[in-house]
Amino acid sequence: MSPCNMCLTSLLAYTPLIDPIDLHKHWYLLLIPMALGIALAYKAVRVDDLRDYPRQVAVMTVQVVVAMISLGAASYFFVQYLVPLIVAKG
Amino acid sequence: MSDSSAPLSAAQGQPKAGFVPLSLVAAALFPGAGHMVRGERTRGLLVSLGVLWLFFGGMLVGGIDVIDSREDRIWFVGQALVGPIAFGVDYAHQNYFKVRDPKSGEFRSAYPGEGRDPKTGIAVAGGSPPNRKSIAKINELGTLFATIAGMLNLIAMIDAAFPTARAGGRRLTPSDNAAQGTRP
Repeated sequence: MSPCNMCLTSLLAYTPLIDPIDLHKHWYLLLIPMALGIALAYKAVRVDDLRDYPRQVAVMTVQVVVAMISLGAASYFFVQYLVPLIVAKG
Repeated sequence: MSDSSAPLSAAQGQPKAGFVPLSLVAAALFPGAGHMVRGERTRGLLVSLGVLWLFFGGMLVGGIDVIDSREDRIWFVGQALVGPIAFGVDYAHQNYFKVRDPKSGEFRSAYPGEGRDPKTGIAVAGGSPPNRKSIAKINELGTLFATIAGMLNLIAMIDAAFPTARAGGRRLTPSDNAAQGTRP
């Protein structure tokens, strides 16, 4: 089965809200809607003036996404480079 | 967004400082309703949008399988904070999507290639499952989406019940009510 046919098959089998979405290879992209949702709800409670709401939601979404990418990069650096260095010295 | 200064206009029937039990009850029943009851309609709608975005986003990602009070009880504690919607989805999941195991009699998710007898709910071989069980990262993320929705709704409930945090950059106190001739 070609990759295109496989996509079509999984899309046809998907019932929204009932079945899981087939994003196993690109699961990390779901960080963006999650960060957006968190910012939407949190900033609705937090902002004093709702005229600032759209800008603050956008800023918080970007902050969360950048922070998570940075944490991932830091973890990768620690495990791949720092831990082997520490083990080699020990 | 006309109600951005609502907390300052208590004398006009807008939100007051102090504990507001009705707002707490409304916020627990439906996300954002607590703020709407207090007079902050736009804020309530935005809270509702955010919380429901995450809750139904979780279901879009992981399917109905991510709301499960029996198999994922700890996660459901967080999801339950969304309110009756979470309990309704869980009820539908347990009673209309899970199958009764023919041997043990226990309810469980249907296996691939297994159907559900609509009258008895017993698993029958050869049909198609009512829903597909989510696995791996997709299940984790869907569950996390819905649980975060509950956590954020808890923040919204507290904010609706104790409206003391916003007043143009300062905190509202019961003395603000007294100054405006309203009961704390």
